[in-house]
Amino acid sequence: MERLERSFYSKASMYSFVVVLILFFLLWIATGQFSKMKWASSGYIISSFIFFIGITVRICAWLIRPATHQVMKRSLKNLRKKSRKKRNVRAMLKTAVDNIILQKFIFKRGWYRGLQHFFIAWGCLLSLAITFGLVFNWFYFDLVDPQTYQIIVLSIPTITMHPDGFLAFISYNALNFSSIMLLVGLIMAISRRINNHDTKVTQRAEFDLFPLYLLLAVTVSGLLLTLSYKFLGGFMHSPMALVHQATVVIFLVYFPFGKLFHLPIRPMATSVPMNYWEEEGADTRPCKKCGDTYSNDDQIADVKEILGQQAFDLQMEDGTYLSDYCPACRRRIRVMTHLNMDAPIQGAGEPVMTNNGIHMPGFGRERDESFYNKKETEES
Amino acid sequence: MNKVMYLEFERCIGCRACQAACRECGDHDGKERNYVEYVDFMESRQTYPMMCMQCTDPACARVCPANAIQITEEGVVLSAMEEKCIGCRNCTFGCPFGIPKFDFEENKMYKCDMCYDRTQHDISPMCASVCPSDAIRFIDFEEMQELRRRRTQLNLVEGKKPTEQDKWQYVPEFFGVYSD
Repeated sequence: MERLERSFYSKASMYSFVVVLILFFLLWIATGQFSKMKWASSGYIISSFIFFIGITVRICAWLIRPATHQVMKRSLKNLRKKSRKKRNVRAMLKTAVDNIILQKFIFKRGWYRGLQHFFIAWGCLLSLAITFGLVFNWFYFDLVDPQTYQIIVLSIPTITMHPDGFLAFISYNALNFSSIMLLVGLIMAISRRINNHDTKVTQRAEFDLFPLYLLLAVTVSGLLLTLSYKFLGGFMHSPMALVHQATVVIFLVYFPFGKLFHLPIRPMATSVPMNYWEEEGADTRPCKKCGDTYSNDDQIADVKEILGQQAFDLQMEDGTYLSDYCPACRRRIRVMTHLNMDAPIQGAGEPVMTNNGIHMPGFGRERDESFYNKKETEES
Repeated sequence: MNKVMYLEFERCIGCRACQAACRECGDHDGKERNYVEYVDFMESRQTYPMMCMQCTDPACARVCPANAIQITEEGVVLSAMEEKCIGCRNCTFGCPFGIPKFDFEENKMYKCDMCYDRTQHDISPMCASVCPSDAIRFIDFEEMQELRRRRTQLNLVEGKKPTEQDKWQYVPEFFGVYSD
């Protein structure tokens, strides 16, 4: 493996090469040794290749980050453990259903945002799946006899159907359904961006708005194509097809490098229940100072490792790390340090001495013993 | 932006007006992002206000596995981007000052962003604009330097003498974002 790696410029280029090989192989199978290539969609094919290479390179770059690397390392380690098998499967199923399929956490931010994201996400996913399937010829329809249509997946004949049947209607119009979903979601999202002043605090036109308008261009031009051949007898069909192809090409090339890249990295949310929930919904690690539970051992070990790799020296004089304390105690340590009190770190429950001889009680050093002794001698 | 946040913890009277103001800030969704806490409730009623330092190299962003915490060009460290945050809470444990908060329901982290919509136009953040005892102030860099100098003089009056090694211990905390 290492020798193979060395023959490439980098890991990213190696994985990109592998991805391109796989895509070519699938294309080769699906098009019957390139004999059934659809040259009209060559723009789609080239941009799809760029899409997959871009995704690969971005994921590689993202995995190099020490934080991501550490989390993935622990995830892989836990995945291999047989004793954690039940927990791993549960974590994966939970994330897949709650987090990715139903997107429950977005609905909790408001039903409007939830619905909007649900429409855009599933519209996008379905459209992407259908587009890639058609572009790479992974599936297409074939006429067996005048009354029977057949879906062919990777050159393997599968189900047959009547050309006017319900199944046929669904599969012809799948892209239309997904684009209508997308259109509804996009209108909701754009009107939210226009009307909701809260979103304007941190939104950036090129990051938050550009993908929305780009998706809108793709959706509308795609729906206009349907309108053209269904109801207008093919009026302006070929120029519209070119416009649609151009927008899709821009979308596919943009996808790995913009906001939409959050889609392929979402599955990493599995690592949270898989690695960091010793007990569901409860913390297990006690704070070094106050004893309240605030996290779990694995996660704090990971955080220390990540910070150490990036030369963050957060170790204290007594050998403990700042991440050994709960957030509330860390805030207190900061205040005491800044107030010239050297943050007395004592055992759990011990009071902080804030009375010194100079400052008003509340913030200050403990009075020196000699101060009291002097008073006693004066009185006597 | 040539202004800084200037905190004097002793001046805090514990009225929590800053927290109430924080809840009103745009995009904060009715949840406060700053803290007012007792130093030690069993000993005195002294409280202190606490907000994000806006580090130039923030530990929270470094420990984020999803690369969700972004820094604006002015240097303000923003809350985790909602679409990227996977809800692992690494930021709350990585932050040396215990600042980021986490919303388990909505699965996202939120933290003090110095009221970015206000401070980017040099308007005082909500907490500083309401603080009745000037524990939190949003002031010019020069004014901050002047206050620090006066503070050092006060320490000298009290019989404590800073040396070159520990002079930083004799001034209150200041932070924020400023350019030259």
